Amino acid sequence: MSISLPTYTRRETPLLGRRDRLRTIVSTGLRREFKRPAAIFTIGVGTAITTITAIFFVLFAPFLLQGQPLDLRFFYLPASNLAVLFFVTLMASVVGAGLIADDLDSMALTLYLSRPITPSDYLIAKAAILAALISMISVLPLFITPLLGLLLGLFPWDTALAAMGLAVVVGSVLTAWYTSIALFLSSLTRRKSYAAAGVFGVTFGLWIPAQVLAAPTALNSPDLLYLAPWEDFLAIARGAYGVAGGPIDWPVALAILVAITVLAGLATYLRMRAVEVVTG
Amino acid sequence: MSDVVAARDLSKWYGEVLGLNGFTATFGPGITGLVGPNGAGKSTLFKILIGQLRSDKGDVRLLAEDPWNNVPLKRRFGYCPEHNQVYGWMTATRFVETLLRLDGLPAADARTKASDALELVGLTKAKDRPLRTYSRGMRQRAKLAQALAHDPEVLILDEPLSGADPIGRVQILRTISKYAREGGHVLMSTHVLYEIERVTENIVLIHNGKGIASGNLHAIRALIDKHPHAVRIDTPQPREVAQAVAGMDHVVGIEMSTADGLLVRTRQPDAFYRELPEIVVDHGLDVRGLESPDDSLEAVFRYLVG
Repeated sequence: MSISLPTYTRRETPLLGRRDRLRTIVSTGLRREFKRPAAIFTIGVGTAITTITAIFFVLFAPFLLQGQPLDLRFFYLPASNLAVLFFVTLMASVVGAGLIADDLDSMALTLYLSRPITPSDYLIAKAAILAALISMISVLPLFITPLLGLLLGLFPWDTALAAMGLAVVVGSVLTAWYTSIALFLSSLTRRKSYAAAGVFGVTFGLWIPAQVLAAPTALNSPDLLYLAPWEDFLAIARGAYGVAGGPIDWPVALAILVAITVLAGLATYLRMRAVEVVTG
Repeated sequence: MSDVVAARDLSKWYGEVLGLNGFTATFGPGITGLVGPNGAGKSTLFKILIGQLRSDKGDVRLLAEDPWNNVPLKRRFGYCPEHNQVYGWMTATRFVETLLRLDGLPAADARTKASDALELVGLTKAKDRPLRTYSRGMRQRAKLAQALAHDPEVLILDEPLSGADPIGRVQILRTISKYAREGGHVLMSTHVLYEIERVTENIVLIHNGKGIASGNLHAIRALIDKHPHAVRIDTPQPREVAQAVAGMDHVVGIEMSTADGLLVRTRQPDAFYRELPEIVVDHGLDVRGLESPDDSLEAVFRYLVG
């Protein structure tokens, strides 16, 4: 007769994958932003003003564009709304500038990176936080405009549908650019005020001089407008919605914005890979 | 068992400032104290161990693995940073739970383990309060809870007693001891010297980025033969005792420190302890107690760094 002993195996807790860990960083980051008064103000007021102005454009479209057919070109109007520029910049400054800088300053980065996540995981999660919030200003109003127009019967469904799709594409280009630039600047410093100033500097510091210098009374060189991200975005929007004219070509503007977005993202990735969490 | 940590000729520069300077040491199982003054390189060494700093020179292994960019290794250690800034808006439960989720634990498991870890460090009652309302000592305990909540093999604790109140210190040391008794390894830096003696005799002394001594506290002390060993003698007859021991060849100094005692310095402590009883009897002296202040880690460190 033989007796065999039972064998036991230890039951390990199944560990969740990368996506769940990223989701944790994103939800923690969003929860944090929705507790900060400056972020709440920017999110709330920014979304409200850009959306309300977009709705205004729809309701008063027949008066604003008298004599013009209400086709796809109409949707360039809400896209070129200066409130979008202002609040997207403000959002990138208030939220984006602190996303990495705050973690560097408070050493929360030490705690994050002591867990099994890579710098790229961290960066992707931070980008998702900022992109989600910027989209509320850069995509949502552009999307709501044709939707409302469709519901009110102002636009045919195919035009409205095309405009909604273009809103996502055009708004995403702007979102990606601001997300990439804001995170890059945020990764360079422990002081978010520096990064925030950098976001405003890159936006308005390039836009205003480019406009002044490109004017016929100055250098009369429209190509200078390529230097301004907002002008590039407007060119892309014009191209997308089929608006003729404009001082610069949309393919070049798109290439510039995408290239800068990719380069800034790559630079931030390399910086985060190499970042050494020095004791403060 | 192989060493928990093995560092060989490890150097790290911050620009022109030297953080570590050819640091060589091994840390065995159980609790090891890394002791040195501020700026000695303790935090730099720990950051290299957890893969958040890359050494400029030398070689380091944590659990026999290179820690730099080693993501799987991060599951095997728990790290408690020195700095005291944590997300103040989070409750302690949320804080520990979030970091456990980053380890890949499902939400329910993370919540249970967070609760257990906070209970272990004595924060159960305060676990649902935001961290900004915590005292410094409570924050230290919350950080300790996140470090050990995922059952790591090694705890790396950077100044865990810094700023902790007396009750917190006891709780932290108790937690560390319990963890080590259950088979965990602990690397703990501190400059609260007398407290590290309560949990371990295994120490590594670091100064100016160099490992200046490592091993058992008493063994290190024995190695310092060029420094006289001090013995405090408690006696109501300090002058008479001083005269009696002055004749011993190896006694190199006598201090009449107090009215009821004196401090004797000897180069041969073994011979001193062997011969003293005979001298006391022969001279009819009243000696009520002997104490060696050199047993304190502080004295060892003071000697070693000159």
